[in-house]
Amino acid sequence: MRKSRLAAGMVAVFALSSTLAACSAGSSTDDDGKLTFMFRGGEDEKAAYTAAIERFEAETGVDVDIVVTDADQYSTKLQAAIAGNNVPDVFYIEQASLQSYVTSGILLDITDKVEAQGIDLDNIWEYGVDSYRYDGKVQGTPDGQLYGLPKDVGPFAMGYNKTMLEAEGIELPSTDTPYTWDEWLEVLKAVTKDTDGDGEVDQWGTGLNVVWNSQGFAWSNGADWTNADHTEVTVDTPEMAEALQYIADMTNVDKVTPNAEQAATLDTYQRWMAGELAFFPVGPWDVSVYNDLEFDYDLIPFPAGKTGEPATWVGSLGIGVSATTAMPDDATKLAVYLSTDEEAQKTLVDAGIQVPNLKDMAAEWAAEEGAEPANRQEFLDIVETYGRPMPAAVTYGAAWYDEMWTNIQPVIDGEQTAADYLAEVQPRMQTLLDEANAAASAAAEANAAKG
Amino acid sequence: MSTSGTSRMHRSEHRWALLFVAAPVVGYLLFTLYPVCMAFYTSLTNSNGLGIARFVGLDNYVRVLSDGYFLQSLFNTFFYMIGIPIGLALSLALAIGMNRAIPLRSALRTIYYVPVISSLAAIAILWQWAYNGDFGLVNQVLAWFGIEGPNWLADKDFAKPAIIAMAVWKGLGYSMILYLAAIQSVPRSLYEAAELDGANGWQKFRAITLPMVQPVTFFLVVTNVIGGAQIFTEINIMTPQGGPELSTASAVWYIWRQAFKYQQMGYGTAMAIVLGLLILVITLIQFRLNRRNNFVLD
Repeated sequence: MRKSRLAAGMVAVFALSSTLAACSAGSSTDDDGKLTFMFRGGEDEKAAYTAAIERFEAETGVDVDIVVTDADQYSTKLQAAIAGNNVPDVFYIEQASLQSYVTSGILLDITDKVEAQGIDLDNIWEYGVDSYRYDGKVQGTPDGQLYGLPKDVGPFAMGYNKTMLEAEGIELPSTDTPYTWDEWLEVLKAVTKDTDGDGEVDQWGTGLNVVWNSQGFAWSNGADWTNADHTEVTVDTPEMAEALQYIADMTNVDKVTPNAEQAATLDTYQRWMAGELAFFPVGPWDVSVYNDLEFDYDLIPFPAGKTGEPATWVGSLGIGVSATTAMPDDATKLAVYLSTDEEAQKTLVDAGIQVPNLKDMAAEWAAEEGAEPANRQEFLDIVETYGRPMPAAVTYGAAWYDEMWTNIQPVIDGEQTAADYLAEVQPRMQTLLDEANAAASAAAEANAAKG
Repeated sequence: MSTSGTSRMHRSEHRWALLFVAAPVVGYLLFTLYPVCMAFYTSLTNSNGLGIARFVGLDNYVRVLSDGYFLQSLFNTFFYMIGIPIGLALSLALAIGMNRAIPLRSALRTIYYVPVISSLAAIAILWQWAYNGDFGLVNQVLAWFGIEGPNWLADKDFAKPAIIAMAVWKGLGYSMILYLAAIQSVPRSLYEAAELDGANGWQKFRAITLPMVQPVTFFLVVTNVIGGAQIFTEINIMTPQGGPELSTASAVWYIWRQAFKYQQMGYGTAMAIVLGLLILVITLIQFRLNRRNNFVLD
């Protein structure tokens, strides 16, 4: 009796340690005939994808396990899974991580598989699909190999408080011709005032956050963060300085935004929702919340700088397939299904958190009678014509780009000119970009040697 | 070992003992020593946490020393520790108060203990709201006294004190309970003897209470310093970008950002090892100091 217990104990210890060893040495090529899909998101996304996956299972007979995490834990958990050689078969992939995941051999090249399955990619936004193309040097090029499909595209438009502008007797902005910066500033000045006569301003033109809102101003003024092949940082230019200064001066010189202490995003976001700001940027993910606000709003292009053309960014999240999946064909099928399934798209669009991935569906959605916001077409125009990826979305990591914002506060507070700051920060950003590019080629070489 | 150790029964017991000892030892080897060794190796590579890494020698460690942001985050981390003596003083005062027969004593004890058992993430979110520049509770209270409070978490001079205040509040109950237990185990006879000698309240506190709770103080200082060096969750929730000009970024937050956000796992691990060594050195110094101060009753 005692002996057998001892034996059982020994076996247990051995079993435990060998399982652990197996975990660390094993891989995800467990051919259990099941797919694993790992993603993140709120209730709406969970509901939409759970339902979509049930339909996928019914149609194809393939079982799918779902792993869902909170948004802020996703990348950490995914990397832990990768480090443990337990990569999910299908998972969300960020634009900014695509290159490192491809060069490290984590993502499967699905170009041929998608083609072989006869999928019509032309009905998905080019921007969305191309975001996940990479030719080993440039990301976002139509010639690159395909490493994922868009879960969504996130165009960032300018919004205005229609109720407020009407009450102030200001002509509503055109949805076709963007304001010039000067015109816009005049409007901002006109609406900034004390409405209740207590001597304090309580209604402002806008309230921008330089980290999320300056891109459109810079691009539209002819500036950019890097050269075309992302090797040189190019922020130290008069065009970029002018754009940043324009935003900083709104607060410090023109005083058409809440003052510096109140300028953190949370506050201007709150003020916009409280109806205190005339203009505020709007993304598709804001629509469900903004539609419940007490005022009417609509979308317009961002005000245009020197080039006369509006500009803004489009975000995207992708769905990729693991390079080590045991079922590459089924996994690709699932990725395609999640990106293009009309019912899943409809659930997400109805929830007011994204625009449709499919062009025909989007056209119908934009033309909908009595839609709110009325100018939904602006979102589609951004995706289709003038939106761009975030500067760091197409480089190997975002460290160089984040550096731009780390010490920006004195510029926003009016203690340092934008031109001075940019001259100072450009070399630091260049060092980090050089490091990123060196890390990219090192990772690519290491992976090539493995292959 | 005596010769009786040859009996069958003894040998059997002996094997069982080994087995029970083996469980924690194997656990330690697998879950602590092996990861530590792997981490040390990773810190010598250019690992991105995804693919194959190349050995780069001490490059990462050289970089640690010249990384201004890491030094800044270390400074921030140690700055947060200002909260430790403040927290200990407050909790000792509270413990002395709670030790008296005051009305609603158990209710008060419970109230002070609630933050300890609450989720740190939930607390951080609540405090983030309390610190909001316009609508926050903190500034509303300050406004009663005619003080216009800053936008705490968005101001580089106020963000760190704001986080310290929250951390002190969160840790108060735990330290208080330990002090309370320590105070209650001080023999009454010591106080009685002191009273006979004509000691006043302050003298009794200085000469009896404080030295008698010293082991608890030591325990709290050591654990708070180790815990404080690893502060992360509240930083990441309350200031997701590390605060204005990285003014709230703690060392662990910065390490996490490099390793997981910028995929510089090798470099991040090197910083983590530097941080680990710093904590070790500080803890050793504390033990050293404590040995000098230690005394035994009787």
